[in-house]
Amino acid sequence: MDFLLGLAQIIGVHTILGLSAYVVLLTGQITMAQAGFFAIGAYVAGMLTVLAGWNILPAMIAGGVCASVVACIVGFPALRVKGLILVVATVAFGEFVRLFWFNFDYQIEKGEIMVGPLGGEGFKQIRYFPENGWSTGEVTLFIWAVVIAVMAGLWWMDRSRAGTVLRAVGEDELAAQSVGIDLTAVKVSAFTVGGFIAGLGGALYAHYTTHIEHLNFGVVLATFAIAYPILGGLSSVFGTLLAVLFIQGFLVEGLRFLGDWRNLLFGALIVLAMNLRPRGLLDERVSRMLGQLFGRRGASEGS
Amino acid sequence: MDFIDFAQSVTDGLLFGATYALIGIGFTLIFGVMDKINLAYAAAAIAGAYASLGFLSFMAAPAVVVFLIAAAAAGLLGYGVYLCCFRFIPLANPLATLMATVGMLIFIDEVVVHMTDGMPQPYPALFDDVYIEFGEFYGLRGDLLFIFGLAIVATVVLLYLLYRTRLGLATRAVAQQPVAAQLVGMSVQRTNALTFVITGVLGGLAGAMIGASVGVLSPLLALPITVKGLIVTVIGGLGSIPGAIVAGLMVGALENFFLTWRGVTERDMYVMLLLFVFLAFRPGGIFSHSAQRD
Repeated sequence: MDFLLGLAQIIGVHTILGLSAYVVLLTGQITMAQAGFFAIGAYVAGMLTVLAGWNILPAMIAGGVCASVVACIVGFPALRVKGLILVVATVAFGEFVRLFWFNFDYQIEKGEIMVGPLGGEGFKQIRYFPENGWSTGEVTLFIWAVVIAVMAGLWWMDRSRAGTVLRAVGEDELAAQSVGIDLTAVKVSAFTVGGFIAGLGGALYAHYTTHIEHLNFGVVLATFAIAYPILGGLSSVFGTLLAVLFIQGFLVEGLRFLGDWRNLLFGALIVLAMNLRPRGLLDERVSRMLGQLFGRRGASEGS
Repeated sequence: MDFIDFAQSVTDGLLFGATYALIGIGFTLIFGVMDKINLAYAAAAIAGAYASLGFLSFMAAPAVVVFLIAAAAAGLLGYGVYLCCFRFIPLANPLATLMATVGMLIFIDEVVVHMTDGMPQPYPALFDDVYIEFGEFYGLRGDLLFIFGLAIVATVVLLYLLYRTRLGLATRAVAQQPVAAQLVGMSVQRTNALTFVITGVLGGLAGAMIGASVGVLSPLLALPITVKGLIVTVIGGLGSIPGAIVAGLMVGALENFFLTWRGVTERDMYVMLLLFVFLAFRPGGIFSHSAQRD
């Protein structure tokens, strides 16, 4: 049971990470910076609960806000470029954040032991949940409450004017600009929102693993972040969830009996999936079909 | 920590930077021709070097042959990457090809891990017993000098191929105007595939050079080399071969300088900072024209 709950926690946090990239990808920008925002959220929220004794909820929000402020500041210069340059710039940003925490020491004495981030050794003893008597089940419920809140927020946004604007920029920047959409404002907003969501995810991650270190937040995590929405398809938030279930649930956990061969298959399946379904597992056509299947939503799914 | 030490580390870095330059040229060429990023490129380069090691385990061969095999194997891999990640995916969908190359990167890396049980493998070096001394503390390492020379030869051959042969003419035509190239009867797909093979050969050489100068090959090399290669590409300017060369040498030198000065944990931070400086002040790269590129 604990194994399943642990898996549910991983899937929840990775869904949040994927959704943070989803917002940015909607505007057609490929971002590898999500792991960096995730790390900022994790470290800031961890330090707030451990060192300053905050409650988890304000600490999480503070982590998200910090990440989104950084995203906004980085977004202005970074989003002037696009395509390959943006990929490289955001990879470099993510690595920079990781190396920053790699070299960051801030420890205070608490009781018998020293707590706080310690460079390469990482940040141990983020024990908010055990200290406050949360059971694994409660932690899982909490994570999924946040997942559902984020998904609901994004689902609603998708159907509002904001979602249409994001997609317009993603489909054709020139056309969007010519109907009076401010490209920079839209992209930086999407980046900021993405940063906030990634920060929330990072905060949750730090608290359920209780130990974070800089290696957790490398290029691989950034790749996963954009892999979920791209594999799942950008037609709706459920694509991202589906892709996380597929990768974390099926490829990583379900194929564990394959041992080392699992990773091999992992890469090959991504290549295959992109060849067969270049617009994602849950592309526009499938999601429209599903919409008609469940009746009412079919009518509004015409985008 | 005096001046001689710094001069020495910068020189070593500059020579090693030749490998970054080659990787950067590979990224830049593919981007120039197809407007696409091939993230599996550096992994294929390292895998090519591994393939040459595999050959070495069957029979003894001089190091030169090993280098050539690495280049040939990586060229083949380049074609494979083209087939798997670009040939059948609609090119209007950049996200799909990007993701496919990421999958390919993981796949190639994992195949390498499987073949070697994840152990780093020693790689033969050339001229590693040569050391040209200047004074008491300063000198040039023979193996680094050799890879530097090899990189120059490879670049000259590549430039000859691009600017003096019909194949190069076709490549440049497809890069500039794919539709027009198709209209005059060129096969865009064949040209694209050939570009992948050529860049693959170049990458294989770079992979062998990395193995020879580091002394070991490890699957862990693929990701850092990918990141450094991409940074070199952007600093040099997308599609600019001279830019990639200068940027590669610059990144190599700078990296070693900060390694000596600030230690290994902070080294890469300064390379990233260099990239940000370029993005802020010269987003078009070192040799950018006044007109801004994408």
